[in-house]
Amino acid sequence: MNNLVTERLAVRVMRPESPRQAVSFAKRFRAPYIAGGTWLQPACERDRQWPVQLVALNPDWPGFLGVQETDGGLIIGALTTLDELARHPLTSVYLPPLVGLLNRVAGPGVRNLGTVGGNLLAGGDLSALALALDAEVDVLAGKGTGGRPLVQWCLDRAAGDLLRSVTLPDCRDWRFFVEKLGYRERFSPTRATVACVHNGQQLRLAVCGEGGAGRLVVTEAMLRDQGVRELGDLATVIDSELEALGWQCTQLRLAVCRMLEFGLAEVSLEA
Amino acid sequence: MTLDGDWVRNATSRMDLTPRIEGRLAYTTDQRHLPGLLHGAILRSAHAHARITGVDISRAREMPGVHAVVSAADVPGPNRFGIVIRDQPVFCDERVRYEGDSIAAVAADTPEQALAALDVIEVGYQPLPVVSDAALAEQQVALHNSHEEHGGSNLLARETLERGDLEDAFSRCTVIVEHHYQTPRQMHAFMETEGGVAIPDDNGGVLFRVGCQSGHRDAEQLADILGLAHDQVTVESTATGGAFGGKDELTVQPAAGLLALKTGRPVMIHLDRFESCRTGIKRHPVTVKMTTGCDAAGRLLAHKVEAVLDTGAYASLGPAVLENYLDHATAPLYRIEAYRVSGRLVYTNNGVCGAFRGFGGNQATFAVESQLDALAGKLGMEPSAFRQINLRSPGDAGSRDQTVRWTAPPAEVLAAAVASPLWRCHDAGTGRWLTGTGMAMGAQGNGLGDGLPDSGGGRISLSPAGHICVEFGFSDYGQNIVESIIQSVCNGVGCRETDVEVALGNSRGPDSGPTSASRSSVLVHGVLARILPGWMNLVRGHAAGLSGHPEDRLVFGPGGLYFNDHQVLSYRELAASVNLDELSASASQDFPVAPDAEQPVGRYLQLQIATVARVAVDRLTGRVRVTDLHHVTAAGRVIYPPGYLGQIEGAAVMGQGMALTEDMTTRDGCYLADNLDQYLIPTFHDAPVQRVDVLDSTPEDDPFPIRGVGELGIEAVAPAITAAIEMATGVRIRRLPVDPGDLLVGMAAQEQAL
Repeated sequence: MNNLVTERLAVRVMRPESPRQAVSFAKRFRAPYIAGGTWLQPACERDRQWPVQLVALNPDWPGFLGVQETDGGLIIGALTTLDELARHPLTSVYLPPLVGLLNRVAGPGVRNLGTVGGNLLAGGDLSALALALDAEVDVLAGKGTGGRPLVQWCLDRAAGDLLRSVTLPDCRDWRFFVEKLGYRERFSPTRATVACVHNGQQLRLAVCGEGGAGRLVVTEAMLRDQGVRELGDLATVIDSELEALGWQCTQLRLAVCRMLEFGLAEVSLEA
Repeated sequence: MTLDGDWVRNATSRMDLTPRIEGRLAYTTDQRHLPGLLHGAILRSAHAHARITGVDISRAREMPGVHAVVSAADVPGPNRFGIVIRDQPVFCDERVRYEGDSIAAVAADTPEQALAALDVIEVGYQPLPVVSDAALAEQQVALHNSHEEHGGSNLLARETLERGDLEDAFSRCTVIVEHHYQTPRQMHAFMETEGGVAIPDDNGGVLFRVGCQSGHRDAEQLADILGLAHDQVTVESTATGGAFGGKDELTVQPAAGLLALKTGRPVMIHLDRFESCRTGIKRHPVTVKMTTGCDAAGRLLAHKVEAVLDTGAYASLGPAVLENYLDHATAPLYRIEAYRVSGRLVYTNNGVCGAFRGFGGNQATFAVESQLDALAGKLGMEPSAFRQINLRSPGDAGSRDQTVRWTAPPAEVLAAAVASPLWRCHDAGTGRWLTGTGMAMGAQGNGLGDGLPDSGGGRISLSPAGHICVEFGFSDYGQNIVESIIQSVCNGVGCRETDVEVALGNSRGPDSGPTSASRSSVLVHGVLARILPGWMNLVRGHAAGLSGHPEDRLVFGPGGLYFNDHQVLSYRELAASVNLDELSASASQDFPVAPDAEQPVGRYLQLQIATVARVAVDRLTGRVRVTDLHHVTAAGRVIYPPGYLGQIEGAAVMGQGMALTEDMTTRDGCYLADNLDQYLIPTFHDAPVQRVDVLDSTPEDDPFPIRGVGELGIEAVAPAITAAIEMATGVRIRRLPVDPGDLLVGMAAQEQAL
């Protein structure tokens, strides 16, 4: 289409031969990575400012694409698209609720391009579940390569870090509740996505959305110490923790509290 | 009858609608093949309200690829436009009043060159206080200097409709309810954003091919602005990707026309979605206080309305919207002993508001219907029973004592809605999703309204190719008026669909008036009823001379004229045998208004709708799903079922958006959303299952059996949804769009009270 947006000035897209070279390019040229491009496009169109250079990531690089079953669980390549993840047979085996959640992430066109890594980096809908699952990330950084907990990487991620894959534990017997709250049924910005996970011993809670992504460690501790007590107390603890995480809207906190309470009841009921 | 899939399939015609469905229909803004085409871009204000201290376009003129830069000094005629009041500058030179105001425009070889040139135009601003609160606008600095027109205040218009002794009526009320209501600034969100091309001719004139709704009116305004004689400007409103009122006002045309005349080359301006959001017309947000009372038997006695409409920086069609709002606020479907309905239309720096499907009426109906539910609740009556007591009968005068032509008794419309199967759905009182069913009614008059010039004409002829050529000035912006015209011609003439050719939207052709106010179908039918008998006699007379058969035994039919069931002449043969001007006819008519009122009241041809909505409300989050909408309509005879169905269903989804998600909110005069990823319209997943029923008891000899349904479907959707929400949750929402957070807080409060 010949319109104002697509007739923008050219962007230099660098195509590194290896992940290591990609990290090097990103650092040397201070250029952002591009995978699906679904976050980049609307942001740049809005500001009418496109990056001068981009570092294109290659899904053919080992470990960056696909879903692999290992002894420890699942490894999901960061360049796996949301659609590929939703359709993958292992997803419905390991993470049945994820298929329904992914169907509510953006629209089909975005899911065909958008990647798991891009979604996690932007604090998108996958973040809550990944945090609740204690996911680990495999990151190529300037100083080396290695795995670390996603929750930690979210806090100390450095510019130029390149996410290769996400590792999820073997959660086939776990119980899940994942729910997205948007403004409409589909193709909506996320107001809040909550995840409750019960691994048979322990409850884990996480949120992402307008107030940011994070684990509800205080609430988890209370549940661990005292069990699911009177809902009034639980709601108060969740509300306080959400506010501390940066969730300012009281009405939205109320909705998140109720979603989490419902989710806890669901996963506890089955326990 | 229910308009279902069979009706639609049976009405399928020769028209290939596939390109429209697949998005391949070429719009005006797709015309990028024109030789020598330049691309225009418009510099918009950087402030919602500021004095301009200087505009320097000199650097822009030197930029690569730039052919012309124009600003206020380049406007040869009045630097003003506006349908009702010409108060909007083509280019601002002293003051900007909203963030979409135009300051200058550039024509260049490429769009990015045009944008680059805009970036180097230097504008000096002296920011002024922003008038952002409509309720306080009259106490703030006046946005327009004209004391003659606006009295030196931001009050653009005020109007009061009164009937009976209101104070006495209130004194006799057993129950009185008073509530405040608020409706949003909704955006049209058409598929094709505003745009078009201006093409200079060899005689100093300009041809505009644009997405618009009134080619003739636009041509007049543009000729004035461009300093041209009216016959030097032609507007072709070619197929347009949606309008809904948002292209009633001039958009890109003045800038494109000036650039085309300056460069001598065609200039295309097509707003991207960001610019469309920022500059385009919106629906008037309304805040209103309604006080309504009834006696112990439920008879409405008194009704008081005090409304404030925010028209934004310029008038556009605001005064007419105010008038229609007030008319609907008188509760046209119901007998009320006394009312005082008043409204104030104020200027602010919050964008510009104007025409939008429903035209103020649906904002008023939301509040009126909510009031009726509140009164019914106070009396412990079923809302439908309360309405039944107060509905007008076919013989009654209208709410403003005017004669009204209904197409079905209102009580029958209500009865059909009460019989809707949606009421029999089981309402879940426990579990996560709370369900409920609610209903609202609405009335809507066709035509432009009180006292506005409202007439339209058409022309019929034979084309050289032997088609029956019908011309109207209306625009095709997705409603597919072409097919309804074809159906009307086929019904009137007895020909087949392939015999008819429809030409629309050329300002050189017949002036049919604007394609708005649900008026097109009424006028098409009226004009054809006037033209066809005479034109058919004309053609028969000519055919009799050619064929030698008696004129009174020649019959129109598929492909030509018949004698004793045998075709004796084809339309092509007829066309080839005569100067075609001799076989043409034209007519025009005034839009029907109530004939007996002292002041002409436009709400003569009245339509009705009752919408039953079923919703599911998430107990956890307050999120609302509209699962079903059942519409009972009384809008005259259905001549084109797909069009009727499409208008009602499409308008209803638009009303659902207004009820649940859509609001172009502002902060300090600036919109907070700038694209459709932030301004959220319903998607297919949000669209409910819909059913459209038609009641029609229009007599065979009724002179106005065909009515326009372009706006009817939006009329009652919002109050039906909020009634259903109340049924599900016990919480009544009076501010749109429904805020799930507000609803959730209300639900939580109800839970705690249990």
